[in-house]
Amino acid sequence: MSLQDLCKAVETGDQDKGKQLAQQLVEGGTDPLEIIDALTKVMDEIGEKFARLEIFLPEMMMSGEAMSKAVEILSPHLKKGGAGEPKGKVVLGTVKGDLHEIGKNIVKLMLQAGLFSVKDIGVDADPITFIKEAEAFGADIIGASSLMTTTMPHQKEMIDILTDEGKRDGYKIVIGGAPTTVEWAEEIGADLYAPDAGSAPRLFSELLKK
Amino acid sequence: MSNPYRLWEIQGRSNTGPFCDEDDFLPKIFSPKLREIIKKYEIKYDPKTPVPADDKMADRIWQAGRELFREVGLYNTDTHRIIKLSDEEISEALYATSDRYWVGAGKDAVLWKHRSVEDREPPFCIYSPDCTCSEELFYSYCLSFLKEPLLDGFCAPILEESMGQLIRSASPFEINGCTEHIYKMRLAAKQVGRPGTFFVAVGTAEHDAGQIAVSNNEWGVRTTDSRIIGTLTEFKTADTLLNRAVHCAQYGCYAGNLTGPIYGGWCGGSEGVAVALVAYSLNGLCIYGAQFNQHFPFHLNWGSNTTRELLWPIAMAGQAMARNSKLLYTSNGFANAGPMTEMLFYETACHAMVSVVTGWHLWEMASTRNKFRNRATALEARLAAEVGHAVARQGMTRAQANEIALKLLAKYEDHAADAPKGSEYQECYDVAKANPTQEHYDMYRKVKDEVAKLGVEFPY
Repeated sequence: MSLQDLCKAVETGDQDKGKQLAQQLVEGGTDPLEIIDALTKVMDEIGEKFARLEIFLPEMMMSGEAMSKAVEILSPHLKKGGAGEPKGKVVLGTVKGDLHEIGKNIVKLMLQAGLFSVKDIGVDADPITFIKEAEAFGADIIGASSLMTTTMPHQKEMIDILTDEGKRDGYKIVIGGAPTTVEWAEEIGADLYAPDAGSAPRLFSELLKK
Repeated sequence: MSNPYRLWEIQGRSNTGPFCDEDDFLPKIFSPKLREIIKKYEIKYDPKTPVPADDKMADRIWQAGRELFREVGLYNTDTHRIIKLSDEEISEALYATSDRYWVGAGKDAVLWKHRSVEDREPPFCIYSPDCTCSEELFYSYCLSFLKEPLLDGFCAPILEESMGQLIRSASPFEINGCTEHIYKMRLAAKQVGRPGTFFVAVGTAEHDAGQIAVSNNEWGVRTTDSRIIGTLTEFKTADTLLNRAVHCAQYGCYAGNLTGPIYGGWCGGSEGVAVALVAYSLNGLCIYGAQFNQHFPFHLNWGSNTTRELLWPIAMAGQAMARNSKLLYTSNGFANAGPMTEMLFYETACHAMVSVVTGWHLWEMASTRNKFRNRATALEARLAAEVGHAVARQGMTRAQANEIALKLLAKYEDHAADAPKGSEYQECYDVAKANPTQEHYDMYRKVKDEVAKLGVEFPY
């Protein structure tokens, strides 16, 4: 039983072994922050492999799930030490009228692996739902995905409502999805255009520093 | 027989099929089953041979796709139940379906037939820019495509605005946009003297209401035309999509099943995409009652399908279905590069050649990965149809297609990630006359001549 074994379990997507080893390590006195640092590095490597498509989505999802399970075990111990706060809180969804989810789901996984706390509100989400969920969750960022040109206006609609309600400054708004562009993001007043899932954790972190 | 297959028995399974938590469907049911099936049927991608001539593997991919569809089914995200069919039902649907349909009307009607591998019968060519366009360019766009001599069917670009207002899905603006869309298509077809042209319409409708609003044999989408019904990636549907299937069946128009399995996504690699294409086609036949399948497998990172890891599943799934079914299916090219670039023409020629030699009909061409407004033209679709006709007429073999594909891939494959965006429609077409500019035409002709030198025998 070693940290290396746990890293291997996450790499191969073995959830049960990941949970078991995380429990043993933390009970054995290993610093949970040290464990999370090591697992984050593993997920960074997995993410890079996925970005190059040396591995595919199912493998990355399995690793991400294994990491999440291990972090669940570690979280209570982190809180005791006052550390381990998420990098940021994100409400994520696909806009109204749009049922596509794969891009949004990959972004969610990458963010979770990057230690963001993510509330996934699913597909076909009304602009008001985004806003209410963000308020309830205490979100820092709202991420709205759209895969169809005719559903892109709902990204704008959400920003317009936030502005009209005087709540725009309360959140960073990120948009993404196949037909969206940086020009569209600028046109509708979003704070960030996310071009792909792989860069999401880095770009979201940078956005929160602004 | 005209589909659909046992409409209400199959639709009823949205209510009675096995329950499944949506979060579990892809990771716990679809993905493991696909991996197991690929192993069981010994399906192996070889990047050195983008167009294999392997009949036995083609037949195994057919069996694998059939098993995948039977075992996994189609998940309804509204009812959280899985629509599944038995092996006997799949066999019955495959036996009962027709291998040909008359589509379009009057003198413009065309007989669309199943093709075989290395078939000498030219493909049925649906021209489609697959992009969105500005409202003021829409009519010219329609004219430019409908002028094309080898066009058998037409799918117009998607309107972003109607009467100057942004179209928002599921809103009255969408219905208004759909009305404008079909009226302008009809007028354009009449003006160019092809009023009965087979339409696949209307792409502006993302929501079922928009589709249903324009079903009308006088001014709208006719019963001699078709609709497209999407399947959500991967192997999911929703009531809004099933509504369209039922509407097409009851209105009496044709239906196409639109699918885009993702290389690198839940399908995994090339092998998984090939198997999924077959399974999706059975979904189209059995659940959507579709007369044809419209497939655009694509690369997760690039959004295209002209590189070898996508050409291989296109080639193999095409052969699998050609050899084992009577189905009709179109290969929808997604190119990395944009209009008026040599790269786009090379990609288009390669995609069309590989598809047609392996049994597909054509649906061309989504330039610039259909991501950018006004960035597609009829000229790349013309080259695709001309390549398709040429390779069929000359009886090109898979081995010959493979050799030429490798030479074409060498011209563009390394630039997939940083492909040029090219020009917008109005920069490479005379908008008023709806004809390509001289510069654009010259580039098309240059690449066509180069492709001819590689062994594609164009008749003109």
